[in-house]
Amino acid sequence: MRYLSSFPRLLPALGLSLLLLPGCYSRSDMKTEEGTATKTPSDVPPTEVPGAVPVRTPEPTAEAATTQPLQAVNVFLEVSGSMEGFMPKTGAGGENTKFQQHVAQFLSEVNRTSAARQKTFYRIKERPYKDSYQAISGTVRSGIQQPAKSTDIPSVLDTLMTNYYRPGTVSILISDFIYSPKNAGAIPYIKTDIADALSQSGEKSDLAVSVYGYTSDFRGTYYPALVASGKKTNCCDTEIPYYIWVVGPAGAVRQFDAALLEQQPAKQAHFGVTYPQPNYSLLSKFQNKGSWYYGDAGASKRNAESYRVIAVSEASPQQPIEFVVGLDLGQLPGQYQDAAYLKQNLKLQGVDTDAKLLDVFAATDQNRASSGPESKFTHFAKVRLTKQPKAARPLVLRLQDQRPAWVAQWTTKNDATPAPKTFALSSLLDGLEAQGGAEKKPIFEVPLTLQPAE
Amino acid sequence: MKALFRSIYELIGAPQPPADTPVYRDVIFPNIGLLNIGISLALVVIFYYVINRMMGVATFNKGRHWAIFLVINGLIAFGLAVSQAHAQQVTDHSYIYWLATWNAILGLFWFFIFSLILRKGSTNASTTPF
Repeated sequence: MRYLSSFPRLLPALGLSLLLLPGCYSRSDMKTEEGTATKTPSDVPPTEVPGAVPVRTPEPTAEAATTQPLQAVNVFLEVSGSMEGFMPKTGAGGENTKFQQHVAQFLSEVNRTSAARQKTFYRIKERPYKDSYQAISGTVRSGIQQPAKSTDIPSVLDTLMTNYYRPGTVSILISDFIYSPKNAGAIPYIKTDIADALSQSGEKSDLAVSVYGYTSDFRGTYYPALVASGKKTNCCDTEIPYYIWVVGPAGAVRQFDAALLEQQPAKQAHFGVTYPQPNYSLLSKFQNKGSWYYGDAGASKRNAESYRVIAVSEASPQQPIEFVVGLDLGQLPGQYQDAAYLKQNLKLQGVDTDAKLLDVFAATDQNRASSGPESKFTHFAKVRLTKQPKAARPLVLRLQDQRPAWVAQWTTKNDATPAPKTFALSSLLDGLEAQGGAEKKPIFEVPLTLQPAE
Repeated sequence: MKALFRSIYELIGAPQPPADTPVYRDVIFPNIGLLNIGISLALVVIFYYVINRMMGVATFNKGRHWAIFLVINGLIAFGLAVSQAHAQQVTDHSYIYWLATWNAILGLFWFFIFSLILRKGSTNASTTPF
């Protein structure tokens, strides 16, 4: 029984080995270990860096605001003579225009939506007249009974701004937006007239306007903006544009756009609307090349949407590095999700680096079905660099706010001949842009950090 | 702790492919490092204290018997590294086997060190391996 007496002396050794065995690490239990010790300092790009790129902080409140429905929606339908062709009296064959189908449905959607509490409908003559949903829908379907004289866009906007601009409230303006200046000499001042109208009742710092453009067949009398060229009866063979303008505080406009106007295809332009920063992350196993890895603190246990630091172990012209940033742009309007727009306007800005944006592309079905983290993103930006960073440096992807190309295509200087163009449209929009102040803010900025590998 | 294991295991070079570096550094290196020490220690304890002391086996104390345990330790260390790497779903790469080989060599080293320290407490094998 010699071994029994010696057994207690073995206990420390056995105990030690037992202690060591469960000391295993896994990705999940390390969350507590390091998450508390280091407050992930590499999340924040170093600000002391000379020439550091200023970075807009994301707006955490914006997300919470969207859950609340809008206070009120005011819909204004222009019923001047020039709109008659969009809303002709029902013909013998029961045919109707695209405008009638679209706007009737849009009004119905507004009336039914849960995105806003109070919905009010107005006809615009010399001033807005309150109308019921049934009456205004009837006007759209069966034609304007008593057309108003030409309405003046600046005074309509002024009325909207003075009487209907409230927090959580948007004004929807449905019109052909043909602005007839009093004479040809007033044409250069269209921009100023619009800007003045919007700011006459006091400067609104968060004013935003979304413009959605559509075309419709047109059966009636066409009134060009330049009165001298004379009206055209029994118009037209071509389609004529009409617009839905959403005017209100930035948050409310974004909310209304997302709820009611984003589903259908339309040309769009946005002025002063701000968007929350999209979710984004580096993807280390998606079309990656070269020697780099996630440099974020505790990278192995993070969630897939939060990698921001590229640690480069080796980069040279012979062995370039390519990495992909996944972006979730699902919350942005269609215009900013358009791959062509992104290719043109997504810019990469870095310090001390030759990093270049190679490509921007939308997720394919295959990406979405993937089990990897790339399935969470709608778009991808691929970046290449060949220079080893010397220290941690900021790198920013920024989507610039550019006037979309369709505006120029839809603008005409002389609308005497009916065409799917609008007189001085870009001047009108210039007036909206003047509201945003001198400097155009980017749609979003996503900061990254480039650093040498440890 | 992590820094220690990282310096030990990166003696054979940086983890490959580079994209998996954080997983190796944060998870796999500490795991296989700790397990390797623990298993080496356990085998040494079994050889010197369980077999050659408590059980009083008198015919399992030669250098070749010690070598059997040494080899077993190396094989366990190799398999451990491979299975840990796969458990963390790293990308397949020949680096996994280089790492496993290095882990086996480290296992032999730990076994040897623990042998030197602990053999004095054994009754039948206090002079094994020398």
